[in-house]
Amino acid sequence: MRPILLLMMVSCIFILELRFDWMERMLGSYLVTTNSERPESGSIWEKSHQTRTAQQALEQILTDRQTLQREVRSAATFTQIAANVALGKGVMLSADHFRKLYSRLAPSIAHDIISPFELLGLVSNGRWRRTYFEKSLTGLMIYLLDANNRVLRQLELDSVLLSQLKRGEVALAESLDQLPIFKNRIYSADQFFNSLESFPEEVRRSMVPHPETLLEISGKIVRVGISDETLSGFIELAFEFFDGTQHRVVIVQGHEWAVWRLRSHLEGMDMDKAAGQTDEQKKHWTRQ
Amino acid sequence: MSLFAVSVRRFSILFYLGLTLAGLGALLATGLFFTAMRQLPQVPQPLGRITETPPTEIFAATGERLMVIGGREVVPLNRISPFFIEAVIATEDHRFWEHHGLDKLRTLKALWITLFERGRIQGASTITQQLAKNLFFSYRRTYMRKFRELLVALQIETQYSKREILEAYLNQIPFGVGAYGIEQAARSFFAKPALELNLAESALLAGLPKSPTRYNPYRYFKRAKKRQQLVLERMKAVGYTTAEEAAAAFEAELQLTPHAAGTTKGSYFLDLVLNDLEERYGPEVVYHGGLKVSTTLDPQQQAWATESLQNGLIKLDQLMGIADNNDADSASPLTHPQGALVAIECNSGAVKALVGGRDYSETEFNRAVESNRLPGSGFKPFLYYAAFEKLDLTPADVFVDKAITIPVKGASDWRPQNFGREYEGPMILKQALMKSVNVIAAQLVERVGPDAVIDVARRSGIKSALTPVYSLALGTSGASPLEMASAFGTFATGGVRHEPFWIRRIEDPLGRVLEEQIVRGQRTLDADISFQLVDMMRGVLATGTGRIARRMGFELPAAGKTGTTDDYRDAWFTGFTPTLSVSVWVGYDRGISMRDVNGVGITGGRGAAPIWADFMIKATSGEPPREFTVPSNIRFEMVDAVSGGIPGQWTRTPVKVALRSGQDADSRPKASAPEVADRPADQVPDQPATIKGGKPIIEEAGKPTIKAEDDSTIKEEDLPPE
Repeated sequence: MRPILLLMMVSCIFILELRFDWMERMLGSYLVTTNSERPESGSIWEKSHQTRTAQQALEQILTDRQTLQREVRSAATFTQIAANVALGKGVMLSADHFRKLYSRLAPSIAHDIISPFELLGLVSNGRWRRTYFEKSLTGLMIYLLDANNRVLRQLELDSVLLSQLKRGEVALAESLDQLPIFKNRIYSADQFFNSLESFPEEVRRSMVPHPETLLEISGKIVRVGISDETLSGFIELAFEFFDGTQHRVVIVQGHEWAVWRLRSHLEGMDMDKAAGQTDEQKKHWTRQ
Repeated sequence: MSLFAVSVRRFSILFYLGLTLAGLGALLATGLFFTAMRQLPQVPQPLGRITETPPTEIFAATGERLMVIGGREVVPLNRISPFFIEAVIATEDHRFWEHHGLDKLRTLKALWITLFERGRIQGASTITQQLAKNLFFSYRRTYMRKFRELLVALQIETQYSKREILEAYLNQIPFGVGAYGIEQAARSFFAKPALELNLAESALLAGLPKSPTRYNPYRYFKRAKKRQQLVLERMKAVGYTTAEEAAAAFEAELQLTPHAAGTTKGSYFLDLVLNDLEERYGPEVVYHGGLKVSTTLDPQQQAWATESLQNGLIKLDQLMGIADNNDADSASPLTHPQGALVAIECNSGAVKALVGGRDYSETEFNRAVESNRLPGSGFKPFLYYAAFEKLDLTPADVFVDKAITIPVKGASDWRPQNFGREYEGPMILKQALMKSVNVIAAQLVERVGPDAVIDVARRSGIKSALTPVYSLALGTSGASPLEMASAFGTFATGGVRHEPFWIRRIEDPLGRVLEEQIVRGQRTLDADISFQLVDMMRGVLATGTGRIARRMGFELPAAGKTGTTDDYRDAWFTGFTPTLSVSVWVGYDRGISMRDVNGVGITGGRGAAPIWADFMIKATSGEPPREFTVPSNIRFEMVDAVSGGIPGQWTRTPVKVALRSGQDADSRPKASAPEVADRPADQVPDQPATIKGGKPIIEEAGKPTIKAEDDSTIKEEDLPPE
């Protein structure tokens, strides 16, 4: 009797399994509980890992790119851009950003990079959209691009120009006495500004075209030097600042004709007389 | 003991034996279960994770999507045609809605057939098991793998609803031609979304996953139809469709999209793009990173390029008397000449079309980029430029076409010869280039030196290795059609070189820019000399070796140069308009000689120039005629083609030449042709000695010539020993 009962039981279990799949459900449920402990293996996981690796690689590329972009965007000068961009790398900025940087340049240097009139032409025809900066072996290449990334104008800031920019844009010495080209014409700040004030505003603008750049420097101006050299119609003026702890010199450029007048005034010359002596004097102390 | 008792006893023994065996089996199964479980993969949560890999997409310049790599076009179940869902269920697993991952009856039946019917193996995988296999397991068939697959299927059934399982399954099954998932398949095969598939289409597609290659309807349509019929019968048997509907579906005409025939549009081009991407980012990023790549390809021009090349090669087959593709013996691509065509936008360097062979499905070797074939006379423009630049020669300077011997230091003398081994006497350099006279080219390279020619070729855009030997000027160093098109583009732009490029912009899956192409040009050649070369190469199309292009009806201002190599192994034509530079090469991969049925060799003018012209006619249709920009230092003068002097009253064919300021045709020293220089210009015969074997070389306009064109050919004996 027992075997028959057992047979019935086994049959029952078998039929119930066929009908309700309880064995599969039981195993399935057990496997669900162990799921998190099992390895992430198999083709779908491999693909997932590859995707993750690829995304990390892309993220790294983008982060590097964005960091560079950020640094370059925050750069206030072309020299800072040149310092940030690595060789063979490039960075894209808007046309406006370039214009902003360009407008901060000393006029003579700006003219050496691109004529402001040419730049105006590019701005006015509306094709210039973006600017691409690329570090090259010789300096910094600048490409003015249209909407299709076609180069409208290619500019090069070679190492000489870059060093000139650097010199013109930052304080490069602690004292005027360290700069030989100014040593012949160093005036006290009072003397310089008294003389400057004697000229009308438009002439003063030509003597010191961007006085706001000087206002940004902390400290007091103690001495001012006028260069012996002219650079493409401009003469450099060196302002020595003292902030209570240290001296710094900042160089700006003024139009040659205006600085001449200022210098004559500082030296107590009659303007007409000064004008008469100009050519002769130029031979002595002006180097192009 | 009664018979009943004996029977009960025997039954008991058998029963307990069975029970013991079942117990042992259960123990074994438990052991197996725990063994298998140890290496069981984790099932992702949610199952939709299978769609997380973003696809890398490649776009044409027009925005058209050319290729999708990886990823899936996932659609919910309610966006899939019910016909297709039913077709799949009927074919793959008709008890899908009832079982719990394992169809026991079907499994027992399959087991019975496999064990007891010789030579037959029956599968019984449910849709869930197939999903488990596709997601986690290799295609290696082992019992342990099958068991693990079953366990994962059981877990999937417990963890997810039937609809989720079906949706996941339908979105990842392979259909062939690079289509994974039903949405991609519906678009690839029938150019419609999965929701719009009708019964016939659904039945065809549902039959493919069993063996996408075997049932590929593009290659094996009959087989695919048979499989479709089987699917329809299964649907009928399961009750999803009636016999009439099934019969009507089988009879219905299938509108398969033409482009999915095993390859993707512009595949040689796409190979180039993918190789480039892999070099820049590595394969992992390319295939799993979900890049969005904008290319320079113009799909219309690409289609024309493919069509022109294929038609041109078919005509070439006919010319050479080669049997067509349907001939069983000619199935091998080796018996047919191959070809390549590259079209580049001159003022940017953007590759607009690129075809690297006759048929991508036959051979994936990209002859447009990877093949460095000898350009023959196609290299002469670099030589002429070098001569003009270094020696201040002009197109009106006279050289004598005569047998010459050039001593080579440390080797035997070089005796270059012309095609046909005949000489025409004195002629101006413009004529010499138009007629592709080897002997004059040899005199020029002797004077200017091979290094100067290499320098010009490099400045123009040739990057392949160039050997500094005299014969270089006759094209004995290989270059690819891409290089040739790019280098000739430098002449077209008046000496401004644009690096060829095919990727415009690369973005990550979120649309953040990774890279973008800056279209920059660099002046590498002098504008005036470049124009002189352009003017000379215009003559090649007008009356020279490439005049077939004009005869075929291509009328826009254009310039170019043919090239043919030793024993007619390569035939080239590279030509350009002010906007588009195109290079065409035809030849055998194995360097077999190309000759027509009469044994006459196939030159660049016969083999490649017609393909070039056919493509250019289509690619420039509707474009207004645009002349090459003439530099301000250039002026034109009419000169005598033989003496280079002012044409006299008896001069029948004065030639217009472009001269730079300071260059005067009449006062030029005729150092190379003293016998001509000594005579007054008007006493020089007007018609140069253009007779070869009693036949004029230049036929009357419009009349075809059966003689091989006066293209140059480099003979092995022409090559100086190195």
